[in-house]
Amino acid sequence: MNAVRERNESAWLLADGGRRLDDRLRADMRRFDDDDEIDLVIVGCGAGGATLLQRLARAGWRVAALEAGPFWDPERDWVSDEAGSHHLYWTEPRVIDGADPVPLGANNSGRGVGGSMIHFAGYTPRFHPSDFRTFSLDGVGADWPLDYDDLRTYYRTLEQELPVAGQHWPWGDQHGYPQSPHLVGGNGEVFLRGATRLHLRTRVGPVAITNGRFGMRPHCIYRGFCLQGCKVNAKASPLITHVPDALAHGAEVRPDSMVTRIGMDDDTGLATGVHYLRRGRERFQRARMVAVAGYSIETPRLLLNSATTGFPDGLANNHDLVGRYVMVQGAPQTAGRFDDEVRMYKAPPPEVTTEEFYETDPTKPYRRGFSIQTVSPLPITWAEHVAAQGHWGADLRRYMSDYVHWSCLGALCEFLPLADNRVTLAGEKDHYGLPVARFSYSQCDNDRALMKSSQSVMESILEAAGATEVITINRYAHLVGGARMGDNPRTGVVDAACRSFAIPNLLVTDGSVLPTQGSANPALTIMALAARAADLLVAGSRSGLRPRARP
Amino acid sequence: MTRPVAPRGVGFDGESGAPGPGGAVSPQRKPGYCNRFPGFDVLDEAAHWDDATAAVVLGRLRSPEPPRFFNAVEEAAADALFDVLLDQNPGNDHRIPVTSMVDSRLAEQRTDGWHYGDMPADGDAFKRSLALLDADAVDEFGTAFAGCDVESQRAQLDAICRRGSAPWHEFVAARIWSLWMRYACTAFYSHPHIWNDIGFPGPAYPRGYAALGLGKRESFEVPDARPALDPVTAEEPAGRTGATT
Repeated sequence: MNAVRERNESAWLLADGGRRLDDRLRADMRRFDDDDEIDLVIVGCGAGGATLLQRLARAGWRVAALEAGPFWDPERDWVSDEAGSHHLYWTEPRVIDGADPVPLGANNSGRGVGGSMIHFAGYTPRFHPSDFRTFSLDGVGADWPLDYDDLRTYYRTLEQELPVAGQHWPWGDQHGYPQSPHLVGGNGEVFLRGATRLHLRTRVGPVAITNGRFGMRPHCIYRGFCLQGCKVNAKASPLITHVPDALAHGAEVRPDSMVTRIGMDDDTGLATGVHYLRRGRERFQRARMVAVAGYSIETPRLLLNSATTGFPDGLANNHDLVGRYVMVQGAPQTAGRFDDEVRMYKAPPPEVTTEEFYETDPTKPYRRGFSIQTVSPLPITWAEHVAAQGHWGADLRRYMSDYVHWSCLGALCEFLPLADNRVTLAGEKDHYGLPVARFSYSQCDNDRALMKSSQSVMESILEAAGATEVITINRYAHLVGGARMGDNPRTGVVDAACRSFAIPNLLVTDGSVLPTQGSANPALTIMALAARAADLLVAGSRSGLRPRARP
Repeated sequence: MTRPVAPRGVGFDGESGAPGPGGAVSPQRKPGYCNRFPGFDVLDEAAHWDDATAAVVLGRLRSPEPPRFFNAVEEAAADALFDVLLDQNPGNDHRIPVTSMVDSRLAEQRTDGWHYGDMPADGDAFKRSLALLDADAVDEFGTAFAGCDVESQRAQLDAICRRGSAPWHEFVAARIWSLWMRYACTAFYSHPHIWNDIGFPGPAYPRGYAALGLGKRESFEVPDARPALDPVTAEEPAGRTGATT
């Protein structure tokens, strides 16, 4: 048996042939009673929650993940269609404001088992070592309470489990990938051609998309609908990379279960489980520990909505940090027009990357940087690009008829963590009667400078490749922060092990804990942090209450 | 996998296209908008789609449902608004029923969930903005928005679009504009007939793609017949009208 299969058998537990999941695995799944005091209940079954679930199930813990959305069946529930994939998003009501409000509910949200990795593009770069010390190195952002070295092993093991395909990586901590790089389509070809002419280093990958058979997972068929959920089972998501192994080792995944409040015992100061709604009924799952993994909007919202007499401003919010320092990445997309047909809808949107601009360049007026990657919008998203140029009516229709000639690149700019970019509770209530999240965002000068600089680099790449016209749309991607980790309770909601400082048996194990974000897509780092938190939990599980010092 | 033959393209042409005689399906597809992909019909490949996808995409070819969210006055204004935004000819029986598609989304609350702090949720924002469009039209042209001629409708919308971040009534103009455009484009560019106009083959599972790279095409993809068409001027340089290889 190979080494990956020995520690995570998920890919070998899937169905072969026409079905994508093994129905028996779900039918035979262990089911806990609400009154069972399980070892750990996890709120949310995405990148962070599912990774934690699988690791602890392997270690013999009695563990369940409660997921607000459905337990997806890729064959039945997902479609090879853009508008028909709207149900993959978290579309509960939310209010956005600030000087630069960030739209939600689409590319930066997830719903159902697998979370937002169900519709993420598939890029899985590592963070750079510098990302963990931006304050010391560059005087901006924050230092993490852990280093790159603490995550290196987790990055490598998860890259094997997903698995990740790509060329050898020359940036940050240099490393190779378990699978060879994919073929590129027209869009990737444009990027490679333009970059070559500018003597700019690029690499194909890194993408969590199988290049060749992996267990029961077939190779990618280059259908281009990665952002609509991979019906092929080629693109990784926890639904197929971690949940099957978790179920086989006695974990429960309870879908359609919306956690509304964390239960607290004010006398002991400990969490007692979670209140949740399932099929309209209010229920309570008892647990010895609670891990929140609802991502950067819902995690702070749940902590704030769980206020008690002991924590009148929200759980673990005694230093007013819950909901603060939420970050998005500035993600402008620049498109170029070519006489050749590019047909960017073919092949996975994630193809080629450059991280040449990732680190602080002392000759620039800004700190930190950006990465550039191929993105390949399908028609509806492409219409947003065209409409953003002010086109409508006949102009819009003519521009859209030109779709096959366009190539599109996207940047990820490292926006800095700012205290006032935050999630609070709005006056408005959702249909459960709970206050909805209000998400305020305003960019700082450094953020704006990065957006501008990345746009001009993308324009120069496309022009070098022969583009006759370029257009740019300013967008945002990813969410991190909101319950960040720190080395003490005044700088972080949780410590480096993802345990909250305020409540010994409450963890946060999702993107909320990231103090900075680099210019990398966050999924792999979120998984790595959750896997590390799991190792530390297992190591400490016979040692009584945790020590307060850094683990 | 076999499936009954999907409904054929009905020769939709947003600009000039009356349907074939009696609305009949003609064997040769009518030229699409700008006539760039002659003979290309996404539905020719429908037998190769998976069942879940086929059900969703072919469902869009059904006759439009009566409105559930908009009242009759709002429906008329929305219909006129979407026709102008998407340059659809109101007299074309085969235009894409955008109003009905948007109405269904709002009735079923299939919104993106979020709304700006200074705006109501999407449904209320639509109702209010349509009423304001009508009120403006009455002020300026003496009739509701739907009753104005197309030139007046375009002028009214152009004025709103040009306001940018300035207010239009109680809205930031750019925000209400973006709401209209998002819903309009999401509905319109989800329709297989419109994919024919832009050369996009639609669903691709379980078939996938094999011909990757610049200038490469699958057997079912049709080359752009007017690769040098300038989207702004709608003109093309002489001698550059042939298909690329």
